[in-house]
Amino acid sequence: MNYRRKISFILLALMSCSLLLTGCWDQVEVNDLAVVTMTGLDLTDENQLELSVNIARTSSQQPQENSDSSSGQLTGKSVILSTTGNTLAEAVSKLQQQLSRQLFWGHNEIIIFGEKLAKEGIAEHLEFLLRHPETRERANMFISIGSAKEVLSLAPQIEHYVADDLLEMAKLQTGLNITLKELMQMMISKSQAAVIPCLIIETKQDHQQSYPFIHGSAILKKGKLAGLVDSSTTRGIMWARNELDRGTVTISPENSEGYISFQLLSSSTEVIPYIHGDLWRITLRIHTLDDIIENTTDLDLSVSKHIEELEMELEDDIKRRINKALTVAQEQMNADIFQFADAFYRKYPNIWKQNKDRWSDIFTKLDVVVEADAKISRPGGTGKSILKPNQE
Amino acid sequence: MIEKGRISASQLGKILYMAIIPTSLLTTPAITFKYAKQDLWLSPIWAISGFITVFIVLRIYRMYPSENIIQIMERIGRRIPGKIISGIYLLFILYVNGVIVREYSEFVVSSFLHTTPIVVISGLMVLVCAMAVRGGLEIVGRFAELFLPIFITLFLFNIIPIIADLQWSNLFPIFGEGIRPSIEGAFVLQTWFSEMIIASFFLPFVADHHNAKKTLSRSLLAIMVTLSVSNLATLLLLGELTGNYSYPFLILARYINISNFINHLESLYMIIWVLGAFVKICVFYYVTVLVAAQWMKLSNYQPIVYPLGLLLLLFSQWVAPNTQVLTEAIAGPVTLAMITMFVIIPALLLCIVWIVNRLHN
Repeated sequence: MNYRRKISFILLALMSCSLLLTGCWDQVEVNDLAVVTMTGLDLTDENQLELSVNIARTSSQQPQENSDSSSGQLTGKSVILSTTGNTLAEAVSKLQQQLSRQLFWGHNEIIIFGEKLAKEGIAEHLEFLLRHPETRERANMFISIGSAKEVLSLAPQIEHYVADDLLEMAKLQTGLNITLKELMQMMISKSQAAVIPCLIIETKQDHQQSYPFIHGSAILKKGKLAGLVDSSTTRGIMWARNELDRGTVTISPENSEGYISFQLLSSSTEVIPYIHGDLWRITLRIHTLDDIIENTTDLDLSVSKHIEELEMELEDDIKRRINKALTVAQEQMNADIFQFADAFYRKYPNIWKQNKDRWSDIFTKLDVVVEADAKISRPGGTGKSILKPNQE
Repeated sequence: MIEKGRISASQLGKILYMAIIPTSLLTTPAITFKYAKQDLWLSPIWAISGFITVFIVLRIYRMYPSENIIQIMERIGRRIPGKIISGIYLLFILYVNGVIVREYSEFVVSSFLHTTPIVVISGLMVLVCAMAVRGGLEIVGRFAELFLPIFITLFLFNIIPIIADLQWSNLFPIFGEGIRPSIEGAFVLQTWFSEMIIASFFLPFVADHHNAKKTLSRSLLAIMVTLSVSNLATLLLLGELTGNYSYPFLILARYINISNFINHLESLYMIIWVLGAFVKICVFYYVTVLVAAQWMKLSNYQPIVYPLGLLLLLFSQWVAPNTQVLTEAIAGPVTLAMITMFVIIPALLLCIVWIVNRLHN
């Protein structure tokens, strides 16, 4: 009996502990929070910072379709609000004044900078995001062509929120996938150049059907936008930065008409720096494994001789793409977005130290050798094309 | 004897590990990175003061197996000077514990409970620790034994999911600027390694004393490895950013993302932190209480546990006006003071004891 009483007393004490777990000063109720899912930063015409946030509607009341409120607009399950200020912190505090709930940044997975703001520099605005204890180091960073606010105001395509759409797109890694942590690392690296994926809006007649997607990338130098590059150059950048995970490569073989498409299974890039006297050289060694997914040429792909030729062609294609990216980076932008500077520092710390002031000169004249090694593992479900019986 | 409880040598090893690791895990990557840069993971290997302290503790233990270093100081220093020295030590240990309590609460307030008054957080922790310390040595030992597996499991849980995100290139160049930066970075770490001196206060109560040497060196080694691994993981994830964060190891937990649904794991680190800080504060609290009771020649230390807890709480508020001062103090004056009090003076004591014994013979 006594033992039982003891046990029930202990259980009671433990249960009463749970009442205290909510905290007193820092107690947070979900229905008191305005969960920010996406942030957009723009520069207004008066040179003020414009902060736009996409807040998830967590209350049970569903919004009326297509209704506009005075402070913001409703799109599906979220509310868009925006304010201006001199600094991000100021804009945030102004935003808080307009809200009945406390802003919560813990689920802010997407941060978008407008093109105009990016030209002025994004470094100082990152400061707030890094210092704030709630923001995520894993938040995905984008630069939008046009204003960031516009991207936020779009309706989601498939997922519940636009933020989820973008997040999943970034994860698929058909374009770059850069997090806040990675952006900061690039910005404080020895080369001080960074690359961020760009967002463009697929405009449809009905605004409700327009949606944003990742297309190309932006190059930042010392935190300022230096230029934009298109999708195929971005692919070259991704090859060189070892960030390519999947994708489709289509080539047209030299001695036959038509196209062959490959699906990338895996790819890795080694960066090998080499210094000899005045010669600074980077060797990019790329190993990739592909499957064939389409063949409209006259080649019979069940013949291993053709596969060897195709591997060579694929290697040439990779080299071409990377060289295109290198030309843009070295000659047009003079921005070391491949972090070659750090590669040199890692291998030759002393020589690097003596030459670090000359790096931008060295980089433009840097000798980059691309060595590609492509392997085609299997021809897919069909050997000979069913539709082309005359393949040889 | 004032303490009737006994612990095993393996419990002592666990006490030492849990008394040193928690706070160093939190702050060392940032402080070490300042000097050692990408060699910060090598710094814990220069645990010189750890080896010296363990050597001193074991030597003194062999000569006086039933006394701790402060009792020996009183014995050597005779009545008045001995009392003064041990009084200074009493205050210093109380001060060090105050710093620990403050570190614990600063982290909780700045990263999780922003609006909670710091006194409440420190106060609750001191209260819980006071209850444990009143239970005596065996309770403290059992807590260390109970929490160590949880601590290590969670520590690994913090590191293993992040492995996919680590960039091994951050490691290079190793010894890019020679061996010096890593040694400079190790300077601050000596604060934690010199804390091995607390072994001296527990050794007289160890039942299987022939295992003492083994257990001390094992826990020192475990501490070195743990610090090295945590510094390495932080470096490989954050690279040059390591120095910019106040609590880099926390970022590891925040960065974990397993297939998009196991993420936002900072509460995991919070568990590590509260468990670790609890044992650490308990151990130092117990040492303070023990030294105070011996200093005042009390027959029982239990009555002074709560009053000293109040003092401890006050000390935790007094040590620094804000976080910056606290961090600067830990990186500079506190390190020097701890090396002096926990390494240099005990080394002198060992020499004196040795000479006195020679003269007697």
